[in-house]
Amino acid sequence: MGISRALTPVAAMGRAVLSGAASVGAVARLGGQGLAAAFSPPWFPRQIARQFLAVGFQSLPVVGLTAWFTGAALALNIYSGGDRFNAEAVMAQIVSLGITRELGPVLAALMLAGRVAAAMASEIGAMRATEQVDAMVTLSTDPMRYLIAPRLIAATISLPLLTMVADIIGISGGWQVAMHLLDANPQVYITNTWNFLTAWDVESGLIKALVFGFIVGLMGCYHGITASGGARGVGRATTQAVVSSAILILAADYLLTSLFARI
Amino acid sequence: MQSRSQWGETAIGFVVLALAAAFLAYVLGVAGVGKGGGAYSVSAKFGDAGSLTPGAKVTVSGVKVGTVSSISIDAKSYLAVVTLALDNNVKVPSDSTAKITSDGLLGGAHIALAPGGANDDLKAGDEITNTQGAVDLFGLIGQVIRPHGDAPAPAASPSATPAPSAAGADLPDVK
Amino acid sequence: MTQTPKIETPKIEWPKIEWRGVAKAFGPKHVLDGMDLAVAQGRSLALIGGSGQGKSVTIKLAMGLMRPDAGAILIDGVDIAALPEKQVRAHAAHMGVLFQGAALFDSLPVWENVAFRLINADGMSRRDAKTRAVEALALVRLAESVADLYPSELSGGMQKRVGLARAIVGNPQVLFFDEPTTGLDPITAGAINELIRDKVTSLGCTAVSITHDLPSARTIADDIAMLHQGKIVWAGPASALDTTDNPYVRQFVAGAAQGPIAANW
Repeated sequence: MGISRALTPVAAMGRAVLSGAASVGAVARLGGQGLAAAFSPPWFPRQIARQFLAVGFQSLPVVGLTAWFTGAALALNIYSGGDRFNAEAVMAQIVSLGITRELGPVLAALMLAGRVAAAMASEIGAMRATEQVDAMVTLSTDPMRYLIAPRLIAATISLPLLTMVADIIGISGGWQVAMHLLDANPQVYITNTWNFLTAWDVESGLIKALVFGFIVGLMGCYHGITASGGARGVGRATTQAVVSSAILILAADYLLTSLFARI
Repeated sequence: MQSRSQWGETAIGFVVLALAAAFLAYVLGVAGVGKGGGAYSVSAKFGDAGSLTPGAKVTVSGVKVGTVSSISIDAKSYLAVVTLALDNNVKVPSDSTAKITSDGLLGGAHIALAPGGANDDLKAGDEITNTQGAVDLFGLIGQVIRPHGDAPAPAASPSATPAPSAAGADLPDVK
Repeated sequence: MTQTPKIETPKIEWPKIEWRGVAKAFGPKHVLDGMDLAVAQGRSLALIGGSGQGKSVTIKLAMGLMRPDAGAILIDGVDIAALPEKQVRAHAAHMGVLFQGAALFDSLPVWENVAFRLINADGMSRRDAKTRAVEALALVRLAESVADLYPSELSGGMQKRVGLARAIVGNPQVLFFDEPTTGLDPITAGAINELIRDKVTSLGCTAVSITHDLPSARTIADDIAMLHQGKIVWAGPASALDTTDNPYVRQFVAGAAQGPIAANW
């Protein structure tokens, strides 16, 4: 019994959908188990601290750089593109709004995806390939609590903190450009920014960052755990971790933004 | 594990944090947050709050002396009730005028206080009775373009035609 | 299909570990197909057989890392294949494992690798754990200076010795060795064999080793069993390895190309 040639593309699509659904299930399962491990004892504080350092602190340089350039470029764009309707006066407001609500959290998350999701996938994948995960089980230590949960916790909590830094540095980038290149009054720019921003602008960005951080941690761990096939498999897992994180971040960004827009 | 390259990264991380903290401190300083003295509240009622928003500045002679804390509506008189938070070290006479004005066409609306001549000053909880609401700029422009009532458009065209002939009459004189 | 010869094992009254009718398949490949084997308390068993015959799967089933498709895995008479995950994990407390590549944790120094179970599962303080680790390293003849190095800085033989130290530091009841001498030079291999023999005898553990290194098997094992095509085709005391006339064993020991093993490939 065979499928006629005409139907093989259909069968292939069906296979893809089924395996996609199975993957979604597996990811959700890992996320659920990871959260359960994160919210119940025993914990491994040393591992959690180590991951905070690796994920959070060591991402500061790249996030800071990204944020500064983005804020500066945004200010230039608003100024040069916005002179059609006298937008120079509202440049400060637009820059701060764009950064806190959207660019800060999203760009910090994408940078984190590139750095951290890749590192997690390759590290965990390599550990699986060399039987280190099996060894951990035989040493009476649950890999979910020792490996996965600390990474999830670190990624989820680091990203809002990194976003706060990104917000500040991004706004400062716009300010420096406005001051030096566009001859704006420094104090006026800052006062405009401060008076205009509401707490919700910043808060909505941080809530987004919380969700994005979880996505980055989950994708890194999932692709690491499911890596197979030796060195090539680990390499493939690394790429998939970054790509899937990025796509999910942007999709979640749209969903959250539309959710917040109704508030 | 702590190789030299990791110490370098750690140092840069600290530098980034320090830069962010420094800028934040500068912003808070300029925005006048937590500047000494605290504030006291007075209120004012306006016919039209215009585009005034909470957080807008309150100025005397162009100098910022406080901020707008809240804007609400008086249910009975339908006037906009604005609460102003004035710095403790600033005193204005009790018969001062509060006017809603703006920096430019697109500038933010704020309140300008013009000091009166009374001997006593406004105290916390007092109300400023002399107020002038926001000017409806676009309403004024609309009135000029399309005034309601008599005379307007037809009068415009006859006045248009004399002008060129007047100009034409001028020319020979100039010559 | 050729007939499997009669198995010459003496029946063990109270086995420490027993595989009963175990079957395990990965996709279409039936790695284990009705496997029966038992190890007595305090005895050391070596599992031999061709590559890819299911030896690793056999011990991973006994460690609780995998579940069989059919059959029972009895540890002290309790079928761990029928237990919920949590109780299976609990058995890990009494076992020590030396993996094929030592499987040391690259990001931790040697002492923390050895003391991993003590610190993370038993809640011992780091200082006490380090002391115990150094003692265990001494037992495998590694100097204290090794304790602060990282696994990537060690040779293959030293890594295996650290792996052995990690396996015995918790005073386990059962030891599993997955190819303990593969890839080592003869002298280092001999040293590892001596260590294993010594630990098994002095600690009184039950041990199961996988190897296709026959000299190693002869040194470290009391009993030897041969796995072929998912079944045990011979089991007997180590001394009987050279005297039995079981055709599979004879062909394997001689390394001959002709015989029942070649016929079934």
